Amino acid sequence: MPKKTPDPEAALQKLGERLRAGFAKEHPAQNLDTVREAVREQYAQEQKTPRAAKSAPDAAKGKGRQPPEPEPER
Amino acid sequence: MTDDLMKLVRTYRVTAGLPERLRLAEEIFRTVEPGLRMFVFNAVRPPASDDVLQEVLKAVATSLGKFAGDSPAKFWAWAYGIARHKINDQYRRQANERLQPMSEKELRRLVEASSQSAPLSAADKHDLDYAMKLLTASKPECREYLWQHYVLGLDYSEIAEEQKLSYDNVRMKIGRCLDQAKSLVA
Repeated sequence: MPKKTPDPEAALQKLGERLRAGFAKEHPAQNLDTVREAVREQYAQEQKTPRAAKSAPDAAKGKGRQPPEPEPER
Repeated sequence: MTDDLMKLVRTYRVTAGLPERLRLAEEIFRTVEPGLRMFVFNAVRPPASDDVLQEVLKAVATSLGKFAGDSPAKFWAWAYGIARHKINDQYRRQANERLQPMSEKELRRLVEASSQSAPLSAADKHDLDYAMKLLTASKPECREYLWQHYVLGLDYSEIAEEQKLSYDNVRMKIGRCLDQAKSLVA
């Protein structure tokens, strides 16, 4: 008996999950030194300007989907 | 795991001390780095891809405390948005650097790698074979849309923003691409 054709959307979504999982398996997290360095720099900057740092989360409310950096070209 | 990610991100946002921030950032990035790496490596050729990934990780880590979204989908949209900017910067620096899409062989290797932690059933294999055929049969433009939407998990609005198209335009394009791929594979 021939196999039923899968639902294309569900099949592609399943493939996406598998590819992401496979990629994570083949390439476990690296580069955490970069992350640590960035966190330290950000922390040091906040210590210099504590008021700006405190107000930053409030100012960012509702902007969670926006990339943070100004992009003059866009 | 995605709930855990949001808990970590929320905790990071309200954490003041450096040692705790470093610990949280490490946990967050152990989870998200492979996804960002896949996103970047799918778009930029090595060795430039490593530099772009470093820039992306730095930018995401620097802005992590300002991310105000409340769901994993929003987090990924935000992080992919940062990655897209960095990738576009790279394209401007080096024209013609866009990568060829992953070959079917590469796709199969990644699926095989995923089966080490979650074995594939016969039904899974059948579905995945079909999905790979859909992708490989698609024309380049359609393949890119299907890849972004189904493999990377970007929603219509995110693709619309990236492509400077309307939401409905993207929704219809993806629908047409899916129909076209189905007819090519049938």
